[in-house]
Amino acid sequence: MTAGCVMKSSWLEKNTFHHSEFNDLNRLVEEKQRKNLKISLCLPTLNEEKTIAKEILIVKSELMTRYPLLDEIVVIDSESTDKTREIARSYGADVYKAPEILPDLEPFTGKGENLWKALYVTKGDIIVYIDADIKNIHHRFVYALLGPLILFDHIKYVKAFYDRPIAIGKSKIRPTGGGRVTELVVRPLFSLFFPELTQILQPLSGEYAGFREIFEAIPFPIGYGVETSMILDIYEKWGLDVIAQVDLDRRIHRNQDTRALGKMAFVILMTFINRKIKLGLIDIKEDLSNEMIQYNLIKNEYKPDIFQTEGHERPPIIEIPAYREKFK
Amino acid sequence: MDSYLDKLPAFVDTIKSIKETIITNIVLIGQIPAPTFKEKRRTSIFMERLADFLVDECTTDGYRNPIGIVKGTSGTKPPIFVVAHLDTIWGKDIDHYYTIKENSITGAGITENSIGVGVLVSLPEIFRKLNLRFESDIVLAGVIQSLGRGNLRGIRHLLKTWSTPIRGAVCIESYELGRLNYYADGMTRCEVDCNISTTNAWEHKFKPNAILILNEMINQILKLRLPQRPRSRVIIGKISGGFKHGTIAYDAKLGFEIQSNSDKMVKSIFNDIKDIVEGISHEYEVELKLKTLSNINAARIKFNHPLVKSTVDVMKKLDLTPISEPSESELSIFLSRKIPAVTLGITRGEKHQHIGATAEIEPMFKGIAQIIGVIMAIDSGVCDEE
Repeated sequence: MTAGCVMKSSWLEKNTFHHSEFNDLNRLVEEKQRKNLKISLCLPTLNEEKTIAKEILIVKSELMTRYPLLDEIVVIDSESTDKTREIARSYGADVYKAPEILPDLEPFTGKGENLWKALYVTKGDIIVYIDADIKNIHHRFVYALLGPLILFDHIKYVKAFYDRPIAIGKSKIRPTGGGRVTELVVRPLFSLFFPELTQILQPLSGEYAGFREIFEAIPFPIGYGVETSMILDIYEKWGLDVIAQVDLDRRIHRNQDTRALGKMAFVILMTFINRKIKLGLIDIKEDLSNEMIQYNLIKNEYKPDIFQTEGHERPPIIEIPAYREKFK
Repeated sequence: MDSYLDKLPAFVDTIKSIKETIITNIVLIGQIPAPTFKEKRRTSIFMERLADFLVDECTTDGYRNPIGIVKGTSGTKPPIFVVAHLDTIWGKDIDHYYTIKENSITGAGITENSIGVGVLVSLPEIFRKLNLRFESDIVLAGVIQSLGRGNLRGIRHLLKTWSTPIRGAVCIESYELGRLNYYADGMTRCEVDCNISTTNAWEHKFKPNAILILNEMINQILKLRLPQRPRSRVIIGKISGGFKHGTIAYDAKLGFEIQSNSDKMVKSIFNDIKDIVEGISHEYEVELKLKTLSNINAARIKFNHPLVKSTVDVMKKLDLTPISEPSESELSIFLSRKIPAVTLGITRGEKHQHIGATAEIEPMFKGIAQIIGVIMAIDSGVCDEE
């Protein structure tokens, strides 16, 4: 066994938890109160009317009404065209349209934008981010991410991992699958450039929580790259030991087709390479293209379907004067 | 009694104030598949939630029916039972994840019987919120193996082995608000399997068709003269069979129920149908198997029973119009053991017994208030008089 392997397994053992280790909610609430912490839950949304109510309702019932672990539930919406905002509001969440937050800045559309802007409107010392498309939402998705942050002083950022069955068709479930972009893109990249980070079992999971001091000090890419860049930046700035991961068991979500995953992989690769360039770790002689080209066969003719990404990135929000003013 | 009747309209708003908790229970339990005979996982969640709401006792009986007990103040009054069946008509491969909108919950089993079970588990919290204490212990039972071939085994076992008298009972069904069941018809549920042998050495000159055999059987059942008194009927509810369009059907299956408010009449009709089966089997030289899946005896309390009268008062106080029909459910087992009981529905909805069943949220709070009202009526002694 190499030295690297010894180091890896030690992090994996020490910083990997199971959600059942944090199901004593009274203890979490006591510790939260003793440390005088405020905690915010943020749900970034775009047309999530089918799942948003269930997420708000269960989390609110269990972690606000019954156990006062959360102080607020905030929905940051990318101008959904369905009833996401109305439904979220009717179940008691604070709902914002992303472009209306910090309106003086040029607006962008993407999950990363919503997460970044959530930092401005939330009040918490700890912020929990949860995707809004989870079909089997359970409050463990929230309290298990909070557990390590509340109970262990050295942990500053917690990432979820799970077994991910995917809903197929209208009413059938198949038992395994998911994580294709992780296994085909992110894990090979981490293995090549940051082997230590391969211990993070699902780097692209949309569920994570951390202290404000961490999130406010890192940049946020606007789109799919936000999860990858977040891990790279936290690792670069504070090291692996401030990161923990929690097994949340099963997560059932919408399936995405291969083309959509291709676009996601493109953005993640772009974010990754840009980070490497920024850190001075690689040197690329030519500018990277910002177009992902996929082909469709239309009436016996191959036609390109071009997906363009500008690769916009928000700076650390601490650098925004309005934010500093609000949180000074 | 009037004093608590007057409180009921205000109860609706208080119950609504914890709607998140009630819906959470409905969703967390209802999303666990629980086809009849495979209710174990749902039973665990049911117990977990009850324990989480700090009921005084939380256990399972010898048949694995999960039970929670909210202790009463008296110590001597017999307990009041509140029950809902845990099992559903949907298998494990069906997506049970629910969609919640502003005023509805949609998904497999939501009206059969996730709302009923979720409300049952929420009752300890609702009692606390309403500041209610009862003289009797309140026994909250999620009963297993109720539907179809389950033949109400869970409730039968629970009542058979319960060692003390029971004061009265409320059976909860998700659907439909306004139902007031206080009598149960006698019922026999049967299945007939028709199999045409394909390997028999002796070959038919003209191969019979299993579907046509069952068609003949249906025709003969329809020719039976059924009396209007005692009220009796045969419901042909299920049929399946065959392989493909151009091939004679070698097997087919027919499901039906005999219902009557007289057990004697159910038996008599069953014997008639048995004769039909044997006759067709003989004449057409086919194998017909008649199987009895479940049996329920006719039982009732009268409309002027104090429990029924009080329930009507409770419903009217909440502007609900009671609709009464016979019910073949847990109710019949209580009534056959001379325990006064009613079945009530919680909410309205659509596509009942469909994968996309939808239940309305808003009427639910009135539905729950009516259950509280009836428990209060039983606790005040309306079942003690007879």
